[in-house]
Amino acid sequence: MHGEAVLRQLALAPGIERVDSPRHASVLLVAGGIPPYLHEELRRVHDQLPQPCATLWFRSEPLLGLESATRIDELDDLPRALIVLHRELMSGRRGSSPRLLPDQPPNPWEGLGDFGQGGEGMMGGTPYGRPMAMNMHDDIRDGLTLDSLTFRLGPFFPALPPGMKAEITLQGDLIQTWSTQLVPYPVSLDAVFLDALQRPVPIAELELARAREHLHRLFHGLRLAGLERLGRQALQLANTLTLDSRVDGLRRRLVRCGFFRLSLSGRGRLTEEQARKIGGFAARATGLDDDLRSEDAHYRRLGFTPVTQAAGDTRARWQQTLAEIEQSLVLAKQAVGQDLHTSETGSVETPHGPWTDRRPEDASRLLGDLLPGLEWGEALATIASLDLAAVSEWPLEAWAAAPRVASHEARRA
Amino acid sequence: MIWRELILPVIVVLAALGIGAYVVAVLDRLIAGTLGMPQTGSAWQAPLARGAWLLTQTANATEAPDWRAWRLAPALYLALAATGLAVVPWSETLVATDLATSVVLWGSVEALATVVIFLHGWSANALFALIGAYRYVALGLSYILVSMFVLIGVALPAESLQFTQVVVSQAELWNVIRQPLGLPLLLIVGLGMTFWGPLNLADSADLAGGTASEVSGPPRLVWDLARAAMLVAFSGVAASAFLGGWLGPWLPGPLWLVLKMLAVLAMLLLLGRLLPRLPPERCVILMWVVLLPLAFVDLVWAGAAAL
Repeated sequence: MHGEAVLRQLALAPGIERVDSPRHASVLLVAGGIPPYLHEELRRVHDQLPQPCATLWFRSEPLLGLESATRIDELDDLPRALIVLHRELMSGRRGSSPRLLPDQPPNPWEGLGDFGQGGEGMMGGTPYGRPMAMNMHDDIRDGLTLDSLTFRLGPFFPALPPGMKAEITLQGDLIQTWSTQLVPYPVSLDAVFLDALQRPVPIAELELARAREHLHRLFHGLRLAGLERLGRQALQLANTLTLDSRVDGLRRRLVRCGFFRLSLSGRGRLTEEQARKIGGFAARATGLDDDLRSEDAHYRRLGFTPVTQAAGDTRARWQQTLAEIEQSLVLAKQAVGQDLHTSETGSVETPHGPWTDRRPEDASRLLGDLLPGLEWGEALATIASLDLAAVSEWPLEAWAAAPRVASHEARRA
Repeated sequence: MIWRELILPVIVVLAALGIGAYVVAVLDRLIAGTLGMPQTGSAWQAPLARGAWLLTQTANATEAPDWRAWRLAPALYLALAATGLAVVPWSETLVATDLATSVVLWGSVEALATVVIFLHGWSANALFALIGAYRYVALGLSYILVSMFVLIGVALPAESLQFTQVVVSQAELWNVIRQPLGLPLLLIVGLGMTFWGPLNLADSADLAGGTASEVSGPPRLVWDLARAAMLVAFSGVAASAFLGGWLGPWLPGPLWLVLKMLAVLAMLLLLGRLLPRLPPERCVILMWVVLLPLAFVDLVWAGAAAL
């Protein structure tokens, strides 16, 4: 549940390279507990690492068969432990992690004929239990019908939210169907959002935490777009966020490098109904001005009105993200000047949507309607621009929370 | 005779290949460090450490790959980079293969690269590798077309398809000034052809590494080496076609070419670090709707100037 926090810590650590495929890794880091129903999937990822490889378990229980693997509980020790493991592997001082699964096809042979094609001529059949790429669907883009390929992806694919698994049918790299099979892990929010449900909390602290959450999502989106350097800048800004922080520089660099123009206009557009279901900034990027802060008297005293965009597409959501970060910083600064706390309890507008009598729920099933027709890269960019996971009932633990210096400073001011 | 015709050319190409690929790795790290990416250790040692690690690692298997093609593809790509480097003239006399049709040979390297990159992705028998392969095939033709129009443009004033003659024709005025559209077009296409930075669609992060997503160990080292070597070969072609190749005062010709190649490499690597990856559809539109017409304009410009 706190894996994302670990990832962000490592993104800023020198000497650690995060790779996109297990085939490129030397050390498998498992951060946080893995539910038992995903152990088999984790074994598959583990066995994809080329030998010699090692595993590192951060606040997690090693899988059966890996009991002697290194365990660690301190976040600050993590980068060093990873580097040491890699060096030991390279120098031969550490043996490789053992294979956990037999080296054989995951499904029995079900094909017929010399090549397992299973049907007449070269068509048909399900060799190894997987359908062959077949011309089964009409093309939904330009009429050029290609063979459809159906596969399952997740729950540890780095470009999807952690824990999410989907069955996808592609034609070329165009998505024909998307079926979410496992929903992402619920995300934990900064404790201040849960506190706000119980008692008045400083608006400055709440808004800085909100801006930080948005910056974390921006980091992920920028990395996916190939802008690792700007992603790191967003992350550094999140870690050092104070009342005096500004995002003008980041915005200028994002505009200059063309980040907002990457996705074509209208791609990943939410309908009003979908936007309401997802809520939060995604809804506001679709033109809805739903925001629980409007109902809070102290926010109104600060002159708060929701920022909105009209388009509702991927581009609009990133623009909305930047606009909401800027708005949060302005609100935080104003609120400190007037020493304002929230006036409402029992509900709070979280970065993932409104939390009233119920927590923001998972919305990843909507992808089945949203993604067909998009190219693969566009689909992943669309997912990165959305907060789809449910919100956990537990706050972010202290070790995983971002530095709270800014908040303390806010209170002192 | 054997020395000049066989041994020297082989040494020149191998040295350019090995040293060039190493310089690409170092330069990329230095640029990353300058841009504020966290670095540990020396930029000069890191590529060697990475190479040693990949040699230590085992080459993994996928389920029923086309073994021969999968293992051969990185070596073929490296061979294509070597072929490209063989036609780059280091001075008027120091050319590994001074073919009368060396510009055409470079064109064939670009075309065959499409085949080899596809082979690399397809033969792994894995999903993302296959998508990466198809992406390159979908885009490769547009890179080749733009590149060929631009290179025909530099062949016109030289009245030759030989890179040495193209360089000689720039004695009075470099092509970068004579044909101002040419070099920017060639640099963009170069990023595409070597699938680097914003045009790295074949081995991209959204495909978990694309055609190389399933490759580990020594084959990955060869693939990385070949990609870097292809970038070096491309910078040699660009420097010869537009920046006057070995021409320049005071310094020896080969040194001038090295400096110009370094400038091209630094520009490409910097663009790779600063720009986001273009989506394939955007890339197709950019190539066919913007760059190809500009390449026509460049060719007409070159033709009119040559008259």
